[in-house]
Amino acid sequence: MTQNAKTLARAAGLHKSGTRNVGERVIGIVLFLAASVSIVTTAAVILALSAETISFFADPAVSIVEFLTAREWTPLFPESQRYFGISPLVIGTLMVTFVALIVGLPLGLGSAIYLSEFANPQTRRSVMSVLEVLAGIPTVVLGYFALFFVTPILRDIVPGLNLFNPLSAGLVMGFMILPTISSISVDSMQAVPRALREAAYGLGASKHEVVAKVVVPAALSGIVASFILAMSRAIGETMIVTLAAGQKPTFTFDLRETIATMTSFIVQAAKGDQPAGSLASQSLYAVGATLFLMTFALNLVSQQIVQRFGERYE
Amino acid sequence: MSLKGIGTPADQARLARRKRIGQIYRIVTGIPVVLAVLLIATLVFDVTTDTVSWHVVEPDNEGVNLSFQEGFRWFGTWEHVVTQELEARGEDPAATLGDAEERRKFGLRNRVELLWSLNGQPMRWVVSNSRDDRVASYGWFEGNRMHDELLAGLEGGEQLRLNPWLDAAFFTKNASRTPLMAGLINALVGTVWVILLVILISVPIGVGSAVYLEEYAPNNWMTRFIEVNIRNLAGVPSIVYGILGLYAFVRLMNIGPVVLSASMTLALLILPVVVIASREAIKAVPPSLRQASYGLGATRWQTTSRVVLPNAVSGIVTGVILAVARAIGETAPLLMVGAAAFIPRIPDGPFATYTVIPIQIYSWVGENDPEFANVASAGIVVLLVILVALYAVAFYLRRRFERSW
Repeated sequence: MTQNAKTLARAAGLHKSGTRNVGERVIGIVLFLAASVSIVTTAAVILALSAETISFFADPAVSIVEFLTAREWTPLFPESQRYFGISPLVIGTLMVTFVALIVGLPLGLGSAIYLSEFANPQTRRSVMSVLEVLAGIPTVVLGYFALFFVTPILRDIVPGLNLFNPLSAGLVMGFMILPTISSISVDSMQAVPRALREAAYGLGASKHEVVAKVVVPAALSGIVASFILAMSRAIGETMIVTLAAGQKPTFTFDLRETIATMTSFIVQAAKGDQPAGSLASQSLYAVGATLFLMTFALNLVSQQIVQRFGERYE
Repeated sequence: MSLKGIGTPADQARLARRKRIGQIYRIVTGIPVVLAVLLIATLVFDVTTDTVSWHVVEPDNEGVNLSFQEGFRWFGTWEHVVTQELEARGEDPAATLGDAEERRKFGLRNRVELLWSLNGQPMRWVVSNSRDDRVASYGWFEGNRMHDELLAGLEGGEQLRLNPWLDAAFFTKNASRTPLMAGLINALVGTVWVILLVILISVPIGVGSAVYLEEYAPNNWMTRFIEVNIRNLAGVPSIVYGILGLYAFVRLMNIGPVVLSASMTLALLILPVVVIASREAIKAVPPSLRQASYGLGATRWQTTSRVVLPNAVSGIVTGVILAVARAIGETAPLLMVGAAAFIPRIPDGPFATYTVIPIQIYSWVGENDPEFANVASAGIVVLLVILVALYAVAFYLRRRFERSW
C-alpha cells in the first residue's frame, strides 16, 4: 500500500474497522431500545388498566351486568349507598361530545374548505398558524373560559341552565377540536390531484362546483377520519368538562343539567386520594379502561378508513 | 372577463346565480376562520381584563402611599417600600428587615403591591395588609362604569383601589387561602423543574426512536409494529397517561407524588409527538447527502451523526419546542400523579413535592371566593405568555430554516 492510500484509509477509519463495527452495533442496539420505549409504554398502559379493572370486577360488590346496566354511579359513597353503573358517565361524555361535534364539524370542515380551496397561500399560512395556536391553548384555560365567560352568557339565553352544564363545555370543546378536523381535512383535500380539478373546470364547472362535487368527495375518507379522530379527542378531553360540566354523575339527556363524564370522574376519584386497592380506587381504573377502549376503537376505525378507503393518487 | 351579451338571458341569469353561489361558498367557509380568530381574541381579552379589578376597601392600618418616582424603583423596591411603611407606623425598619425570621413573617402578613389608582390618583405602591376589610369588589368594566359613583360613595376610611392582580407580588408569593396574598412562585419553579426533566427524558428517547425508525430499522414486522404503536399512542387521552403514571411511577415503583413522577408521565405523553416531528425532519434530509457520506466511506452512525442530524436539527428543535409547550399546559395527567394544590416549600429537585402553573390555575378556579377568579386569570396570563414565547420561537425557527433541497 502506498503512503497515500494509507492516509486515505486512516481518514475513512478503515484501519480499525473491527472496533468500528462493535461501536456501530452498540449504537444500533441503543437506538432500538429507545424505539422500544413506546412498546413498553403501551404494554404498561394495558397492564395498569387491566390489572386493577380485573380486581374491580372480581370484588363481590361489583358485577359486570350492574356495571353496564345500572343507572347510578356512586363508587365514592359509603358502602351502603354504592352503585356501580357506568351509564351516567358514558351518557355525560357522549352529551358533551355531541355538542362539541355539532359545533366542531361544520366549523372544521368549513375552515378546511376555505383554507384548501379559497384562501391564497399567504392567508393560508397565517390562518394555519392561528389554528395551531388555538390547538395549543391549554385546556384548563379553555375550561376557565367556558365557566366564567360562556356559561354566564348562555344562562341569559337558556332558561334553567345550571352553572355546570355540558352545553357550555361542549361549545368550547367544539373550538378545541376545530384544528384537528381542519388540519387533517386540509391535508386530504390538498392531496386531491390537480388533474381532477382541471378536468372539472374543463367541463365548465365553477369553483364551488369543483369543491362540492370533486374535491370534497375525493377527500371524503380523510375528512371522515378527521371527524372520528376529533370525536376521540372530545371523549378523552378532561379539563374543560371537569371545570365547566360538573362532577355529579346524573342519568339524564338534558343539556342543562350538571353531569359528570368519564374523565371528570377519574379526576375526582384521583383527587380524593383513595387508598390503593380500595374499590373506589379500582373504579377509577375501570372507568379509565372503558375510556381507553372507546378512544382506541375510534382511533383504529379512523386509521382503517384512511387505509381502506383512501384514494391513492400518483 | 365580462360575460354580458353572451348567451340568452336565461343563460345569463344562470351564470349570475352560479356566481352568487360561489360567493356564498367563499363567505360561508370563511366564517369558521373568523370565528376561530374571534374566539382566541375574546379569550385573551376576557382573561386579561379579569386580571384587574376595583376594590372598595377599609384598611385596618393607614398604609403608605408613595409617589410614583419614590416607589417605582426596580432595585430594592420591596425594602424601600417596607421601610417607608414601617417608619410611618413608627417602628424601626432595621428590626424587621435585618432579621430573616421577622422579615419572612412581615412578608407573609403584608403584600407590597403596585396599585394603579387610589382614590382617583395615579399609580402608587402601597403596603397593604392582607386582612384589609373588603367592602366590595367590581370587575374592570363594571368598576370603570361606576367609578365616579363609587368614589363619591366612599365612607370615612374607605379607599377605592384598582388592583392589578398580575404584579410583582404575584411572582414572589406562594399559593394562599387569601386571594390577595396568593402567588405563583412555587408553581413557576415547579413547572421549570418538571419541564427540565421532561426534556432530559423525552428528547434522547424520542430522537433516538426517530433515528432508529428512519435510519436503522430493517423493514420487518417489528418495525411496522413500533410505527403503528407510536401512532396509536399519539391518540391516547392524556388522562390515561395520568392513570399509567399513578399506577406505575407513583405506586408500583414507589417514587411517590414528586417532580420525577410528573416528568416521566409527561415525557411519555409527548414522546409520540417528538418522534413524529423528528421523523419528519429526518425524512426531509435528501438521500443524496447520505449517499455522498457513505460514498466517502463513512459508517451508518457517522453519516447519521455528522450529516443527517445536523441537517435535521432545526426541524427537530421546532418539534420539541411545540411538544414541550404542550407539556407545560397539561393539567389532567398531573392531577393523577399527585400535583398538590398547595405545597409549603419551593420545589428544589426531582424528588420534591411540586405543583405546576396549570394545576394552580385549576385549583384557583375551584375556590369559592370569587376573587380567586382574578388570581386564576393572572396565572393564565403568565401561562399564555410563556406559551406564546415558545410558539414564536418555534414559528421563527420553522421559517428561518425552511429549505428546499
